[in-house]
Amino acid sequence: MPSNSTHIAKALLPLLFGGAAFAGVLPKIELPKDSPVAVLSSDYGDSSETPRGGAMLVDLHASITLRNSSQRHIRGITLLVTAQDVTPGGKGSVTVTSLDVGPNESFPVRVDLRLLRPLQAGGGGLVQIGLDGILFDDLSFYGPDKLSSRRILTMTEWEARRDRKYFKSLLADGGQQKLKDAIMASVAHSADRPTLDVQMVRGGRATNFEPEKQVQFAFLQLPDSPIEPMDGMARIAGNEARSPRLEVKNRSDRPIRYLEMGWILRDGSGREFLAGAVPAELKLAPGQKGQILDNTTLKFPQRGGAQLGIEGMTGYVSSVEFSDGTVWIPSRADLGIPQLQHVMAPSDEEQRLVQLYLKKGIKALVAELNKF
Amino acid sequence: MKHPNETQLALFAGGDLGFWDRWRLRQHVSRCSACESEVQSLRAAAKQIRELSGEMPGDLNIDRNWDRLAEEMTGNIRVGLAAGEAIARFDRPAPNAKPLRLGWNAGFVVAGATVVFATAFWINIPQPQKDHLIAALGKIRVERLGKLVTSHPAARPEDVMLEASSSGIEFTENGRTLSLMHPAVDQRRVPVTVSVNMRGSAGVRYVDADTGQVTTNKVYYAEQ
Repeated sequence: MPSNSTHIAKALLPLLFGGAAFAGVLPKIELPKDSPVAVLSSDYGDSSETPRGGAMLVDLHASITLRNSSQRHIRGITLLVTAQDVTPGGKGSVTVTSLDVGPNESFPVRVDLRLLRPLQAGGGGLVQIGLDGILFDDLSFYGPDKLSSRRILTMTEWEARRDRKYFKSLLADGGQQKLKDAIMASVAHSADRPTLDVQMVRGGRATNFEPEKQVQFAFLQLPDSPIEPMDGMARIAGNEARSPRLEVKNRSDRPIRYLEMGWILRDGSGREFLAGAVPAELKLAPGQKGQILDNTTLKFPQRGGAQLGIEGMTGYVSSVEFSDGTVWIPSRADLGIPQLQHVMAPSDEEQRLVQLYLKKGIKALVAELNKF
Repeated sequence: MKHPNETQLALFAGGDLGFWDRWRLRQHVSRCSACESEVQSLRAAAKQIRELSGEMPGDLNIDRNWDRLAEEMTGNIRVGLAAGEAIARFDRPAPNAKPLRLGWNAGFVVAGATVVFATAFWINIPQPQKDHLIAALGKIRVERLGKLVTSHPAARPEDVMLEASSSGIEFTENGRTLSLMHPAVDQRRVPVTVSVNMRGSAGVRYVDADTGQVTTNKVYYAEQ
């Protein structure tokens, strides 16, 4: 149901910005009638709509304030962003995690969206914003879950709990100094972690200039993982990696319905970086083997540097969801493996705690850890 | 008497003149050494012909069948002329003549041998070398023609569906784009974590410098 604030904003913005055409930028916010959150306000400050050649560039900068109208604490929320008239085949989402929003408390969600559409296309009703899911502190979930938000938010929450527990244990064992050292180590790892731009192409290769070769996966063995990677390969051509094929075995005593494999690539100089995650929705009974196949191509464009020559690959189990809805994620000890530590990004919660320390200091961090 | 002409001398030498003309020429020849010499020359030639005609078949004997010999000679001349024309036609191509089959047959043999060789080569060459060969041929084709002619299902620019970079994430469809950006602080983008899920999504995570809030923007294919 569109909020009153949206209607008011739509009426006022043309007057504020002196152009009726700008009203077309305004998104249509629709939340279910029984939604646990309500739109408190929305601000479209620097939004604009400017012609560029034969196209129209729509810049939407929205700050939407939501209020928790439920009786539980919200841990995470995912908003679905669509522009059916412009890109009917694709959609976007904005997810906010590591929240602790109590009943009747409010929180902001930023949506910075850019649309490039033909001039002929209509200007009205371009962007729709809806709710895909909310995760509460008791791990219950609300929402249509079109983007698998339940699984993503649940795993993120488990990672948050793992890392809070880890930092709290450091504080309990070694005091503020040990906590501080761990936070600084996390900052150092983030600075050292290689990052690359990635393009994803569905289907064929993005180029046929480079010779293609099959490369075998090496695997990082995580002792507690319920999945054992058996074999795997992918096709590599220059700076492209495609069509990974993996064989795995369920070595737990519970059936599994979803898993994700992390995919680490190594270039000619020995530098490693995380290429992406290879997910699979499958039904694996205890002891059963299964295959993960994908026909996607990843391309790593080099901006101004030498072309990336992929020489080797390493896979590891990054998450597992059992049939009963519970999940497995790597432990802090697993994350301490140097190869993994070098390429894996910190969890959302760890990144938030680090930011809190850098901005407000150790006392604010300790106070945050003591909240729950 | 003036000198007789060559015909009269030839007829005299062969004994073919009448009585009066034969007597008159005999009187002249007996007194004219030049005409006598000509008559002697004609009689020697006639004698030589008779001797040569003696080696020929009996019905071609010059003494008995001159007309038959003349017909035979005329026939030989015609045969010679016809043979000359035939040789001339052999040297230049006839207007509607079919090409010789020998060239095509040789071409078929060479083409067949090439196919057999190429197939055997292709079957036995290791995969990496095969890939390299294809790539090298592709490069040559591009360099020579200046334009890539793709037969491989290589992706076209409009097929690049998702892109995640430090400036944001983008979904492209038929030249139209939907991008989700993360905010800049003091004209600089905040540090981000880029992630890609092979199921069809690309994401960028950032921490809001003011609120400390962790936000992840993602773009998806329609199938998800």
